Amino acid sequence: MKENKVKKTLALVLEPIALGLLALLFIIPAITVVNLQPITKKIKDLNVLGVTNSSGLKVNIIGGSHLIFLNERIDSNEDIYTYKTKLVKREADSYSKPILEIVNDKDEDVNLEIYGGTSIPTNSDIGIIIEEQRYRLQEPNGNLLTQKITLRPKETYVIYLYIESFSDVRFEEDFELNIKEVQ
Amino acid sequence: MSKLLKRALKNSLFPAILMIAGKVLGIFLTSAIYGLTIEVGNELNGIFSTQIYFEDKAVTLFVNSFSDLSMFLFLAIPTAYFIFKTAIFQSTVGNPKTIVKVTKFNILQWITKDDTTFLKIFIWCAFLWVASSIVVINVLQDSTYTWVGILAGSFAFLCGVGAVKTFEIESNNVYPDNKRYY
Repeated sequence: MKENKVKKTLALVLEPIALGLLALLFIIPAITVVNLQPITKKIKDLNVLGVTNSSGLKVNIIGGSHLIFLNERIDSNEDIYTYKTKLVKREADSYSKPILEIVNDKDEDVNLEIYGGTSIPTNSDIGIIIEEQRYRLQEPNGNLLTQKITLRPKETYVIYLYIESFSDVRFEEDFELNIKEVQ
Repeated sequence: MSKLLKRALKNSLFPAILMIAGKVLGIFLTSAIYGLTIEVGNELNGIFSTQIYFEDKAVTLFVNSFSDLSMFLFLAIPTAYFIFKTAIFQSTVGNPKTIVKVTKFNILQWITKDDTTFLKIFIWCAFLWVASSIVVINVLQDSTYTWVGILAGSFAFLCGVGAVKTFEIESNNVYPDNKRYY
């Protein structure tokens, strides 16, 4: 009688544990496989830590999630920093997102040349906003413009990317922004 | 603890191991065959602290695609085998022609013992769906070739249909079709 009671209690306790274990048998391999995904070291370092050059200019990606700007990443090649993102199809409207943080660790002004856009015109006005000042990078007809910006010493700037279109955009497009330090 | 739960736990262990083994083997075998430089790091990122690095983005995409394919095949081949075997077994019950064909192909041992239950097929199919979901998500994130995702998605869907058909036939054994048996 007592043995039966113990068995029943044990079964009651073990049942939910077994169910949890069964769920874990599905969850653990899935998480393990996702975590085992190979990554490109260079890109990963750039995304997490930002990139810096010997002169003391630091460009960090802000990241976060956005409905229009996807797959953001930053890369550097010699003195040019390249920010890339995917612009997804969207309704006619104005969108913006903080994308980069630039730190001028130097004791003097740093001049930057900023240019970029999409390879195919999207009938959108694309540009950046720095300290509430708009700098246009691409006109709706696809013309690219280069902007020159001066960064004050020991200052941090947040760059916003904005995109405006008066008609719906029905396709996605890769956007590339280049930042070059000039004398 | 119920017998069903015990059997489910027992049946889930092997596909769970195979899923991880398929991914790991896929990464290391692809790297070994193509002579790619692989680096294993220990940075804290996510739940686990071990990361596998490649220097080039194209190489990462290539290795990830083939490791995803390997993980998927590790689960897809046994699942397809179980569904196929059960389908043949059930077909032989009502169709003598199948027995002749089975004998012809020398796979009589498949129909002499029905050790593949619906539960087993369902569990393997569930793992296959989890694996194919991971592959499809990877495709959407541009970290796996599109054709791997299409293959995985389509095959997982077909196996799902196969599992449902098996269930229908098994349930017909319990609650027989009126027209057929009476």
